[in-house]
Amino acid sequence: MKIESLVAMANDIAAFFDSEPDKVVASEGVRFHITRYWDPRMRREIIAHVQAGGAGMCATAVAAIKALAPPPNSSNQ
Amino acid sequence: MQHADVMMVIGASPTEAHPVFASQMKRRLREGARLIVVDPRGIPLVRSPHVEADYHLRLKPGTNVAVINALAHVVVTEGLTKEQYIADRCEQASYETWKKFVSDPVNSPEAMEKISGVPAELIRGAARLYAAGPNGAIYYGLGVTEHSQGTTMVMGIANLAMATGNLGREGVGVSPLRGQNNVQGSCDMGSFPHEYSGYRHVSDDATRLLFESMWKVQLGSEPGLRIPNMFEAALDGSFRGMYIQGEDLAQSDPNTSHVTAALSALECLVIQDIFHNETAKFAHVFLPGSSFLEKDGTFTNAERRISRVRKVIEPLAGLADWEVTVRLSNALGYPMNYTHPSQIMDEIAALTPTFTGVSYEKLDRLGSIQWPCNEKTPDGTPTMHVGSFVRGKGKFYVTAYLPTNERTSSRFPLLLTTGRVLTQYNVGAQTRRTANMAWHSEDRLEIHPHDAEARGIEHGDWVGVTSRAGDTVLRVEITDRVATGVVYTTFHFPESGANLITTDNSDWATNCPEYKVTAVQVVKVAQPSAWQLRRQAKIPAEPAGS
Repeated sequence: MKIESLVAMANDIAAFFDSEPDKVVASEGVRFHITRYWDPRMRREIIAHVQAGGAGMCATAVAAIKALAPPPNSSNQ
Repeated sequence: MQHADVMMVIGASPTEAHPVFASQMKRRLREGARLIVVDPRGIPLVRSPHVEADYHLRLKPGTNVAVINALAHVVVTEGLTKEQYIADRCEQASYETWKKFVSDPVNSPEAMEKISGVPAELIRGAARLYAAGPNGAIYYGLGVTEHSQGTTMVMGIANLAMATGNLGREGVGVSPLRGQNNVQGSCDMGSFPHEYSGYRHVSDDATRLLFESMWKVQLGSEPGLRIPNMFEAALDGSFRGMYIQGEDLAQSDPNTSHVTAALSALECLVIQDIFHNETAKFAHVFLPGSSFLEKDGTFTNAERRISRVRKVIEPLAGLADWEVTVRLSNALGYPMNYTHPSQIMDEIAALTPTFTGVSYEKLDRLGSIQWPCNEKTPDGTPTMHVGSFVRGKGKFYVTAYLPTNERTSSRFPLLLTTGRVLTQYNVGAQTRRTANMAWHSEDRLEIHPHDAEARGIEHGDWVGVTSRAGDTVLRVEITDRVATGVVYTTFHFPESGANLITTDNSDWATNCPEYKVTAVQVVKVAQPSAWQLRRQAKIPAEPAGS
């Protein structure tokens, strides 16, 4: 998938949670949301992007993706 | 609704899109209930025979959250909150955080007026009226959800209702007015890529085990792709097949060029529909659908009311929709042995805690049932959240207003928003084939007289509408139903190409497309757009990537 789309989606999610005064709560909110609602291939691609430097991503989104568990590898799992 | 004293309608036009609900609403208004309308347009409910809104908060498209925060600011700073209700039923810490947030002067009506365009005194008056109730009910539509901050707005609405004690008894509440008659039923049945029926997440092991043991198959524990993500994945080749029942994505989804490129890239597209719609032009296999008169089943409306749908005639194409799915499943190697939809409902009841007591026999006996319906509530649940919330304590969320990425500029100085008319339904696949065409035969672009005059446009002219996503041509209707700076159109006719100009922007949480805010320019033209000319000449869509 286009990484620009995934970066934009992650930043949009982070923008909502950034309203939280506690930044740890904010990044945990982003991590939880992406774990619950993103297909594994999307999670794999955004993790790879952050490992490559995370260009274009805001700090809250980067912190959330760094804490994201790698999704399983088989099919869409 | 019969017990509501103040009704706030946000981003919905019930008289045009929910006429049955609207007639009940107008009856209650004639009995003396008060009305607040939050909408960029002068919808019929603002002023019609025997009905007039006390307040019309005519906001700029895309600024719902600014308005809801300003309403909450007034409620909190003027001491209109129901403190005992909140203490009894809500998380105190989240309430304190939210209260501090909305009390900030940046959320005051005066500050938000600059963003929303709604005069501060109107916001203050509307907030006082809603909080005074005593029964305040909020009804919202796609004008709330079809925004990049749609989910934030729904949270903001819930915050306001909790702060004023307007949840959990008759005459109050927050009710979404759904986009179609059975949206609620589809959602209830797990039509999300991350849920089973009854809103249970796919990662919930106990739920998954229940389905696995009933169906004798192994099921995944990971969420799947949402529709916009499917399009992206189709274009990169990692998503290759779709089975679409009763939906016309090529007309209804935003950024038509992107959608048609994705549909063209699929290896296998199966369409099941009662009409050969726009999406069917890209199909490899077309399966005949059946209308609501040709099948048994249920519809569930926005008040969670499950009602029977009864077959009047045998399916003209030979099979009801559920029978087509059964045949397909059997052909693919997973045997299904249902002989009547009532057996499918029995399975739903066996697998879904909120439907445990639902059956066709009971639906016939009671007429209809509002879920949850189980051992505790055998006849259903007319009012939710009585005494306490389903989740336990109510949680307040901080809902900062964030402007959409879709901004006006010198190139695109107007904001386009979209909606429906009474006499055509959605993408018009069903109603364009009826005598309703006499009432509404084309989509028109509504534009304010000042904006029309500045562009030399007269009533009935053809105009080009251009956005960052694309362009189309529509005939103009000059009206002050829209404010200056705002234009509006319906999307009932494929030849209008209304979704050629809507963008890929979507809600941060749900990816619901942002249909309601598109920056555009409007100019007078003499001929249809290039896309419309190609369509008229029946030339196929341009290939993917073009």
